[in-house]
Amino acid sequence: MRRVIREACLVKREAKRGIVMSRSAGRMSFVVMVVLCLMQAAMGLAADLAPNDPRTMRFSTVDFNPPDADRVVLENGMVVYLLEDHELPLVTVNATLRTGSWLDPAEKVGLAGMSGAVMRTGGSVRMSPEEVDEELEQVSATVSIGMAKESGSAVLDVLKKDLKRGLQIFADLLREPAFEESRVDLAKLQALEGIRRRQDSPGSIVGREFAKLLYGGTHPSARETTVRSIESMTREDLVAFHRHTVHPNGIILGVTGDFEKASMLALLREVFGDWARGNVPDVAIPAVPEPDFKVGAVRFVNKDTSQTHLRVGHLTIKETDPDYVAVAIANDILGGSSFRSRLFNDVRTKRGLAYSVGSGLRASVYDQGVWLMRAETKLSSTQEVVNRFVANMERMRNEPVTDLELEEAKEAYVNSFVFSFTSASSIVSRLMDLEYDRLPKDWLQQIRDKVVKLTKEDIQRAAKAHFNPERLRILAVGSGEALSKVLAGFGDVKEITLVPES
Amino acid sequence: MISITRTRMVAVLIVGAVLATTAPSHGGSPSLADRVIEHKLANGMTVLMVERHQAPIVSLNMTFGVGGVNEQVGQTGLAHLYEHMAFKGTRTVGTRDYEKEQAVLAELTRVGTELEQREREESARGHMEGKAPALSQPVQQLQRRFKELQDKAGEYVVGNEMALLYQRHGGVGLNASTGKDITRYVISLPANRLPLWAALESDRMAHPVLREFYKERGVVMEERRLRTDDSPNGLLYETFTSTAFQAHQYGVPTIGWGSDILSLTPAAAEAFFKTYYGPNNATVAIVGDIDPKEVIALIERTFGKIPASPPLQTLVTDEPPQRGERRVEIEFDAEPALAIGYHKPAIGHPDDFVFDVIDEVLTEGVTSRLYSTLVRDKRLAASVLSDTNYPGVRAPNLFVIAATPLAPHTTTEVETAIYEELERLRTEPISAKEFERVLNGLDADLVRSLRSNSGLASQLAFYHTVAGSWRYVVNARDRIAAVTPADVQRVAAQYLIKSNRTVGVLVKKVPEKKMADAGEVMQ
Repeated sequence: MRRVIREACLVKREAKRGIVMSRSAGRMSFVVMVVLCLMQAAMGLAADLAPNDPRTMRFSTVDFNPPDADRVVLENGMVVYLLEDHELPLVTVNATLRTGSWLDPAEKVGLAGMSGAVMRTGGSVRMSPEEVDEELEQVSATVSIGMAKESGSAVLDVLKKDLKRGLQIFADLLREPAFEESRVDLAKLQALEGIRRRQDSPGSIVGREFAKLLYGGTHPSARETTVRSIESMTREDLVAFHRHTVHPNGIILGVTGDFEKASMLALLREVFGDWARGNVPDVAIPAVPEPDFKVGAVRFVNKDTSQTHLRVGHLTIKETDPDYVAVAIANDILGGSSFRSRLFNDVRTKRGLAYSVGSGLRASVYDQGVWLMRAETKLSSTQEVVNRFVANMERMRNEPVTDLELEEAKEAYVNSFVFSFTSASSIVSRLMDLEYDRLPKDWLQQIRDKVVKLTKEDIQRAAKAHFNPERLRILAVGSGEALSKVLAGFGDVKEITLVPES
Repeated sequence: MISITRTRMVAVLIVGAVLATTAPSHGGSPSLADRVIEHKLANGMTVLMVERHQAPIVSLNMTFGVGGVNEQVGQTGLAHLYEHMAFKGTRTVGTRDYEKEQAVLAELTRVGTELEQREREESARGHMEGKAPALSQPVQQLQRRFKELQDKAGEYVVGNEMALLYQRHGGVGLNASTGKDITRYVISLPANRLPLWAALESDRMAHPVLREFYKERGVVMEERRLRTDDSPNGLLYETFTSTAFQAHQYGVPTIGWGSDILSLTPAAAEAFFKTYYGPNNATVAIVGDIDPKEVIALIERTFGKIPASPPLQTLVTDEPPQRGERRVEIEFDAEPALAIGYHKPAIGHPDDFVFDVIDEVLTEGVTSRLYSTLVRDKRLAASVLSDTNYPGVRAPNLFVIAATPLAPHTTTEVETAIYEELERLRTEPISAKEFERVLNGLDADLVRSLRSNSGLASQLAFYHTVAGSWRYVVNARDRIAAVTPADVQRVAAQYLIKSNRTVGVLVKKVPEKKMADAGEVMQ
């Protein structure tokens, strides 16, 4: 019944995450609703238009007060958010851990990832790896543990009837994973196979190489595992990584679903209460030295493909920068908003040169972000697409966006806001994210208020300051010889030679 | 790694468990069967509704019973191209002046069709004469005229206006997809925007306008390059599937063969629409914060006016029984991979439910037989998965097992190990514990499927279209529960045999130029 291999063609690439700002969530505030109504009134509605014409329909902003979660701090410092939702007999426990791959030692890149993987697969002090897997899968419960750059994450998803048992296993894996040797070996073999396969598709190459081009190959945001770094890892390394970085006072727990708060708290104290505090590392990611732009800004990777995979962009601000909201909306209009954006309309709809085209802004509170334009296009239209990237970027800098574009961007943002509260778990995970990043609880209201107040001048100012032609780096993966000629007009072209990994 | 919030891709061919389960809820909440409201319009359109009032939002899934199987030879990719064209607007949406635009589009179509016909003729003549043809005067003239008309038509276009209206009203997840059996159009909206949806979708069901046709064909060609030509897995599955199906349309790639895509015409797209996009071939599932009575009234007011299309003809081509193993290799600059497929019956056949059990026992989770044997214990494979209904569900299809070897092990070793496990299915009955795990998984999945408005809408519309009723979702669980260990042994012995299988192997081949550079390297 599960369809695993999918052969369906979509009209556009599916976006993995939300809207303009990945954190574009938050509680609906009265202030914004009022502002929006004014905005709509100002647009001047023609009264004589047909009521069934979709172009002129108007609706009130949906009125919604999402439930608020409870926040409790256990004696050992573990923060717990709880939000009951009794629709379905399910419970989800979501933990964010103050650890991450930014902590990987230079010679052991991949340590965090490997530690997270084997925390899940390597058993616990109480149970063998096989017993953990058997017991969870027999009752269709899942536990997943993984490490990102700036945090770790562990999730338990369990039927209400199996909550107690599931939570015990979950807590054991978090607190006292056994890192059984055979599972360490298996994880290493899998990681090596991943290395062997990561040059297989141009899409994988272009993403990783572009990160290295911007951040440099040793930066936590770009560095990669190597055969040597994986082979050098021992069980002791994993044990130590866990012991040094995973502590209750570094965990924010979000519990949602069909439970009753008091008994849930009692249960959590039972499994986590006697876990002693430790020293929690504070995320610190080094700034990237301003690169030497006299060095050519165009790089290509020679791969035998029919399309050129293009990335054009540069490093950008953090999420906490005062300009962030204006840059995000500028990016939205330029290429971030799919069908609505200029790049989509210009490169795809009008010219038919790409299936997937757009721009992206990714920023965090810890690290310089990335702003980029991207597309895949046949070799013969590569030059035209890069030209369109540059022209559209320049247009954002040199002239204000239209009133209509800004209005559309604001309305899309405000009207889709409600999708940040589709479930108890989405409400709680947003609160967890904000607390993890030490941002104020009303951070999202602040962002939304800024969006609504943005002017065309703000957008142009942001584009001028943060879309910088002189800083552009261009990376292309495609058929080499011809490609280097096509790109020659955009700067000094150099080849990146991939080292064979098998 | 760099991730881009809006433009990143989920996956092309192989994604995690996509959806689809069964089973009545054995939990405390009202079961799915009690929550679905079904309404049929006089013109044949079906509406399925589930109320969920957690948040003021609604997910809509409009599914048409049309897909790659409905294409003719020489026109492959038409179902998918039409799906793209359905975003181009109508006589009111997407245009500045339809009256004037209409005449230009008609002329553009005429010139474009004639131009391409002549280009093909001259190119064929050139081939016969063994030289690249110089373009004749008439063709050059047509090219100029075509360009003029295309520019002129462009002046009337309001680009992507339909999508823009959805986005402006807070719509998220706007997309569409084309498969072998079905084509779907999806969106989620703030719940009070349902009238917008009804206006836009009934308009596109009644009065679509195929503007920007030739440009969109170019977009689809780029999509084909991205998904298939430059993707090792894309190419493996395209070749594997067309090897397994020699007569039935399931063997044809949904995206279409490249040369076919480039030959599709506006007239063919128009005819395809008229045949397959009537309300009688549509099911819409609506899940979220709705009042079903109001929704029915709204849909009657809008879609209710659209006349039914003539009934569809039944497809005639059956895949003949396979008589002997088929093996195919695909060379690519990528690490090896393996796909094994066995012909089996369509959805709803008694043996299809047995395959559901086999599928779960073999690859679902880390305790499954193939994962624990090949990946965990023998360490021959890096990954293994299976699919019970590939590449479509409505017609007899394939049970597929796919795996990637873990170096230095080879696809041959992995293949041998898979066959050993299939032999075990024939020779020893599955255990009670395994069977219990399968049923627990199905029951839990059903409960979990209710978590997501869009996921539930997708399932209801899917099964209603391919299995005749959304109730399949509820009934299948009991059919699966009735499967016996002896059934599994019988089905394994009947279908999972050498003469019934097709094997596709992705073989690493480094481009010659690089080989020369690198000396004698590589495997």
